[in-house]
Amino acid sequence: MNATQASIADLAKRTRRAAKYRDENRRPWTFWVLVALFAAYVLALYGPMLCIYVLSFQDLRGGLVFPMKGLSLHWFVDLFTQVRTGDVKGGFERSIILAILVTVLTVVGSFMAGLAFRRRFRGDGIVFYLMIGSLVAPGLVLGIGIGLLFQYFGLTASWYTSALGAQLSWTLPFGVLVMFAVMSRFDRAWEEAARDLGASRWQIIRMIVIPILAPGIVAVALFGFTLSYDEFSRTLQTSGPLNTLPLEIWSMTLNVTSPSLYALGTVTTLASFLIIGVCLGAIAVMQKRRSNQSGSQQ
Amino acid sequence: MSSSADISRPKPARGNIASWFYVSPLVLVLVPFFVVPILVVLVASFLENDAYGGIVANFTLANYASVFTSALTWKLYLSTIKFAVMTWVLSLGIGFWIAYFLVFHVRNQLLAIGLFLLCTVPFWTSNIIRMISWIPLLGKNGLVNSALMATGVIDQPLEFLLFSDFAVVVAYAHQLTIFMIVPIFNAMSRIDKRTLEAARDAGASRLDIMRHIVVPLSRNGIALGSIFVLSIVMGDFFVVKVMSGGGSASVVSALFEDIAVLQYPPAAAAAVVLLLVVVVMIALILRTVDVRKELAR
Amino acid sequence: MTITTGDIELAGVYKHFGGMAAVDGVSLKIPDGAYCCFLGPSGCGKTTILRMIAGHEDPTGGEILIGGEDVAGLPPVQRRTAMMFQSYALFPHLSVRDNVAFPLRVRGQSRAERFKVADAMLEKVRLTELANRLPGQLSGGQQQRVALARAAITEPRVLLLDEPLSALDEQLRIQMRTELRRMQRELGITFVHVTHTQLEAIALADIVVVMEKGKIKQAGPAREVYAQPHDRYVAEFLGGQNVFSGKITHVNGSSVTVSAPDASAIVVPLMGRSVVRGGDHVDLAVRRDDIHLRRPGLTVEPGWNAISTRIRTIEYQGAFVKVMLDTIGEAEFVAYVPEREFFSDAFNVGDAVAAAWPAERSLLLS
Repeated sequence: MNATQASIADLAKRTRRAAKYRDENRRPWTFWVLVALFAAYVLALYGPMLCIYVLSFQDLRGGLVFPMKGLSLHWFVDLFTQVRTGDVKGGFERSIILAILVTVLTVVGSFMAGLAFRRRFRGDGIVFYLMIGSLVAPGLVLGIGIGLLFQYFGLTASWYTSALGAQLSWTLPFGVLVMFAVMSRFDRAWEEAARDLGASRWQIIRMIVIPILAPGIVAVALFGFTLSYDEFSRTLQTSGPLNTLPLEIWSMTLNVTSPSLYALGTVTTLASFLIIGVCLGAIAVMQKRRSNQSGSQQ
Repeated sequence: MSSSADISRPKPARGNIASWFYVSPLVLVLVPFFVVPILVVLVASFLENDAYGGIVANFTLANYASVFTSALTWKLYLSTIKFAVMTWVLSLGIGFWIAYFLVFHVRNQLLAIGLFLLCTVPFWTSNIIRMISWIPLLGKNGLVNSALMATGVIDQPLEFLLFSDFAVVVAYAHQLTIFMIVPIFNAMSRIDKRTLEAARDAGASRLDIMRHIVVPLSRNGIALGSIFVLSIVMGDFFVVKVMSGGGSASVVSALFEDIAVLQYPPAAAAAVVLLLVVVVMIALILRTVDVRKELAR
Repeated sequence: MTITTGDIELAGVYKHFGGMAAVDGVSLKIPDGAYCCFLGPSGCGKTTILRMIAGHEDPTGGEILIGGEDVAGLPPVQRRTAMMFQSYALFPHLSVRDNVAFPLRVRGQSRAERFKVADAMLEKVRLTELANRLPGQLSGGQQQRVALARAAITEPRVLLLDEPLSALDEQLRIQMRTELRRMQRELGITFVHVTHTQLEAIALADIVVVMEKGKIKQAGPAREVYAQPHDRYVAEFLGGQNVFSGKITHVNGSSVTVSAPDASAIVVPLMGRSVVRGGDHVDLAVRRDDIHLRRPGLTVEPGWNAISTRIRTIEYQGAFVKVMLDTIGEAEFVAYVPEREFFSDAFNVGDAVAAAWPAERSLLLS
């Protein structure tokens, strides 16, 4: 094969290979491997949860493990009626209220901090590293510190003061990091254009920045709620005499050995599903309404 | 607000005040609930213990001495770091590919976000209950063992599935892989798909593209995820206890026990040491990437 | 203080970033209602000047007056200026109508009122059917018209355009050029347009301002800047000129004779320029479309300069043929030959030719 034929053959081979990649509908074999991996991961994620949900319908005679001896709502009833040490209902209420407080404060705090970090300012490095520090510090250590601090000042720790602060020290840095990622995609030109057209600082934030960043803000809210609702180690030392739900569950696991625990898990999951579902639904409805009205802005 | 994108301009004092106003909520939380507690713990670590669980204001290095000379300390650190590294490897190995799949293989953006949300839903069930649920899944009479025995793969239930190191790492990975997926997903979705096209046009194989383009450009996401995973494992005290059946302990779980008997100063010393170790780990990771630049562009 | 006219005056304007001067002492007067183009390569300071006129940057020194008033410290809206950004910066979450009505909304106008005005403006830029679309659904040209409408709705006295045509493809660019000119005439206001494309600048502008490294090199009507560049930089940047350097061998009353490498005895009119002496090194320019190619050996007309040279490349450009000849020293030497003239007696690559032009068409650069 002479040189010309060799180069033509090589070109043909590369064209074929390129054509295969450019064929939009063909999926390489690696795609299927990754799909399998993803499916396995989701299954593994949901597996334990599903066990709980199924087992909470365990029959009266059944124990904490499979096999199911029958179906019944016995353990749900047991959960709500059995007198036991511990206050699940109270814990649940406190957790929800705390989570809502944390969510609101986290959204506002991280949005503002995100705005601040968009340009350099004196001391920005210190604040940034403090934030990272607060994120990586072991929750228990901080809990101890806050507990000791409150003790020293003679303040009583409680779920709506010290625990609130402890949780915020975890959710705020998280929220700020999310805001960083979201704001870095925000084109400054939009703000400049708005200013050029006469908008005041507050108008720019209200009419341009917030609406465009809305998805990111929702993400921060979701994060904040989830992180707070489930928070354990920082809250352990700081919630004072009244427990949040995770703390209640913790003490229950040490004492209770029946499927009513699973029933609790199912109920609390349902509750958080409901709350998040309602919020997301409300947002979706608002979005729909806004885009339905042609050219609608207040 | 003067809005030049140029950062070499000296910042006017007015701009500084505005920035501090905006960052004030964050600082107002961080100072009393992070800075001060750490300082309190630091101070407590140098003080003496009295027999009744109180703290005596005498300076002493005895707490640190006992931390460093105790064989238990080294054993605990070894164990905890071992778990941390194993979890990191597992969560990175899975998380990277999941993120890659979601960013590069899922064509419809709405679908990608939907699948992403799908991965976050399990976290709306309480952490603690999720841990207990491993029992019916991995236990001797659990689903996994029953399935394996029913299909004849094994004829004795696998003991190591639960209450073992294996179980600990599985539980950690289960909980923390999502912390890897999120930053890596974020970093990968920033990669301009046209660079990949250009590489393919130049004749690069998919392996080349992965090695030379995707991995380097997701470095920041990997670093951030690693920071999350490592710091959470190093700071954990209940997953390890529960999932190992009490067989293993972690640095913080030992701390927890000290607190339970009101031994605050020794616990404080141990806490300070742990904090230093974690800070060193994080600092090492931060040296490999410029996280600030990546995030606050 | 209200600004009622759009004449702009820049007086000794400086802008320093860190240690570097982006704008280094610029003084210029732009009359009301003129179309002014700032022309130069990236980094020459033209965009910085635009932003300083707009109020998005503050000058480090000097004064900027709009309508006779010093605008230092005034926010953009009070300067009666409006800016059209290079990326258009249309608000992605608002429809076209909402985008155009935005300036009125921030002034507190009611929905009905501002939509009426916005719709009228959309009528003017012929975008009425797209009023409900989002910017992401529009083409580049359509986005630009929305940006224009949005800027114009505030009734500014000065419209500032930051490389408005760079993002468009060739055909659309030419189309939008006429659009811009038309709008400027219709609105009757001052346009300040920043670009790095010389053809665009000379097509649109009443005043072309050529810049280099923060300084103005030449400002004047397009024809003047193109045909009578003051110096080498302007001549080279505008294109259309051959620029080369040589040494003066003779001074002869109203003209001098210059000798360049590969080319001796080029006669250049003095035109009341600076005093020159024999032995001085000078730059001179000849328009590319003034060069006629002759077969070697033919006599050259009296009063014409001629250089013997060779053809390197030939590029067909439709109305004319671009012929690149051997360089003079280091300088490119190009002839634009009208198509019919070229093909009546076509040359080939490698042919020896005499490049000739009337002596009075050569230009001495300072």
